[in-house]
Amino acid sequence: MDQVELAAPEGVRTVEPPARRPHRGIGVRLLAAIVLFSSAVTLVLTALELYVDYRTDLGVIQRRLDDVEASYLSSLTGSLWTLDTDQIRRQLEGILRLPDMQHLEVREVGRPEGRGVIVSVGIHATESVIVRDYPMVFTELDGRAQSIGVLHVEATLSGVYARLFDRTMLILAGQGVKTFLVALFILFIVHRLVTRHLVGIAGFLHRFDPRSAVAPLTLARAERRHEDELDRMAEAFNAMATRLEELYRELAGLNAELEWDIAARQQAEAEVTRLNAELEQRVRQRTAELEAANKELDAFTYSVSHDLRAPLRRIEGFGRILGGEYADRLDDRGRHFLERIRAGSNEMAEMIDSFLKLSRSTRSELTIDSVDLSALAGSVIARLREREPDRAVSVAVAPGMVVQGDRRLLDAVLENLLGNAWKYTRNTEGAAIRFDTEVSSGCTVYAIRDNGAGFDMAYADRLFLPFSRLHRPEEFEGTGIGLATVVRILARHGGRIRAEGAVGRGATFRFTLWEGSANHGPA
Amino acid sequence: MDQHKILLVEDNADDVELTLHAFRASRVANEVVVMRDGETALDYLFGTGAYAGRDVRDLPALVLLDLKLPGIGGIEVLRALRARPETRRVPVVVLTTSDETTDVGGCYDLGVNSYIRKPVAFDAFNDVVNQLGLYWLVTNTPPPQ
Repeated sequence: MDQVELAAPEGVRTVEPPARRPHRGIGVRLLAAIVLFSSAVTLVLTALELYVDYRTDLGVIQRRLDDVEASYLSSLTGSLWTLDTDQIRRQLEGILRLPDMQHLEVREVGRPEGRGVIVSVGIHATESVIVRDYPMVFTELDGRAQSIGVLHVEATLSGVYARLFDRTMLILAGQGVKTFLVALFILFIVHRLVTRHLVGIAGFLHRFDPRSAVAPLTLARAERRHEDELDRMAEAFNAMATRLEELYRELAGLNAELEWDIAARQQAEAEVTRLNAELEQRVRQRTAELEAANKELDAFTYSVSHDLRAPLRRIEGFGRILGGEYADRLDDRGRHFLERIRAGSNEMAEMIDSFLKLSRSTRSELTIDSVDLSALAGSVIARLREREPDRAVSVAVAPGMVVQGDRRLLDAVLENLLGNAWKYTRNTEGAAIRFDTEVSSGCTVYAIRDNGAGFDMAYADRLFLPFSRLHRPEEFEGTGIGLATVVRILARHGGRIRAEGAVGRGATFRFTLWEGSANHGPA
Repeated sequence: MDQHKILLVEDNADDVELTLHAFRASRVANEVVVMRDGETALDYLFGTGAYAGRDVRDLPALVLLDLKLPGIGGIEVLRALRARPETRRVPVVVLTTSDETTDVGGCYDLGVNSYIRKPVAFDAFNDVVNQLGLYWLVTNTPPPQ
């Protein structure tokens, strides 16, 4: 089906009737056919009948001629023998009065030409006659037979023809009238039984429209006990009409459904377009928000870094005073500690500087290189141990974790995560930190676990917000910027981080790099 | 009336100690009165609260004011000082870590005599304190009584 025609109520479909030929009713044709056929049959039958009549009439004439021969020939022969012409004439006239007799003649034979006796009565005719010549044989006493003449008899057929003509006329007229009457009657019957119903059916079919309920087709006639072809036809039409209406309703229903579907689809498309527009709008908005947030973060980072310098300056100041004015009162061990303090403060100053740099280089190019996280973690741990050599922390780092990334930034990530683990296990007996990988849905996940202070999962989201801390400074020092920095660095490496933990039962930070990228490298 | 008193308004004890040390190192012998917050500083200057009955004519020769103070901020202290005729002329030097332009501008609007950012390096800080003492206590002519 290439196309579904939708039956719109306003688009009334009109069926053009085929070009009308001149109308000629069935009745007229029926009449003509009956008359023609009946006439043909009548003609053939009439011809047969006439032929039989003709033969019968001919037979009658023949028999009459035979009777003439039998009744009159011997007496005429006797009259001729005696040459009694008057007697012959009388006898011939007597015969002539018989029906159909036209001409009679007795001719003597055996005499010279012109001398023989010739007696003739009636009018000689050449056409439409039956001619018989009977030899007149006289038998003498001694038994000798002697041919003395010929009886010539002409019987006319005009009577026969006239009768035949009359009969023909009668039969034709009778048959004609009868045929016409019968034809008229048949015509009437046909009209009454068939034609008028056909007209009614035609009208019904013209009026029929599956869209609107039309009264069923009924034939205008009395109820009958036995149904005929027309009843069946009307029934069939009604059944068809019902089916058509049903089909039409079904089609209309399907069309309505289809229209509904199309409308729904259009609506859905409009919805999709609207959602897309909304999405784009939201993306723009989020991007703007993100940019604003980044700027804010930069400002905060800068400001906080700046504030971090104040305590650092104090450390340096007191360190300088101690190293200058009290140097002679310190032993080697004291000077070593002083040196460690100043080294630590220098490191912190460097870190603050790196934070400042980080905040200022959000959009700087990443220097992607092969980075051995295992080795990097080792050096981070070494720095931590150096800062707090008295801590007994068991650290396990899985070997061979090599990734693609910016060494400086990944170092900051591990510095933060391992530093946190280090920091929050401060009050834990048997502190342990583990850094290894897991595989989750085909993706390598890096996990750093500790058995330290942990955190309340209800605040897990706040962990990664800048300057948001879950611990009071008295418990655990910190700026609250570390994990925010980690999130930003990991985001720039196509990765994510999530935290899991419980208060007093440690924390686990799982992060990914280059998520969705097959080779775990930058796309 | 001791002309040579210095009022140091600073909340951080370490910073106080370092500043005092720097004064000592610069051989500034003036008495340094330390107030740890803005409220106490104003009480001292106006002879109110804990310093009720103090001779308010005994004004410091120099006020070193930190902006980041707990409670009343340094700017409010400055505003209050400049609002009162008896303290209007007292030389005030803001010595702070803040370098926000609004802070700097606001201080000058309120009539601060000098605005100095604390240098990060210890030596530089010592130099600044040394110069402060020399300039405001020796070079500068103080306001008349």
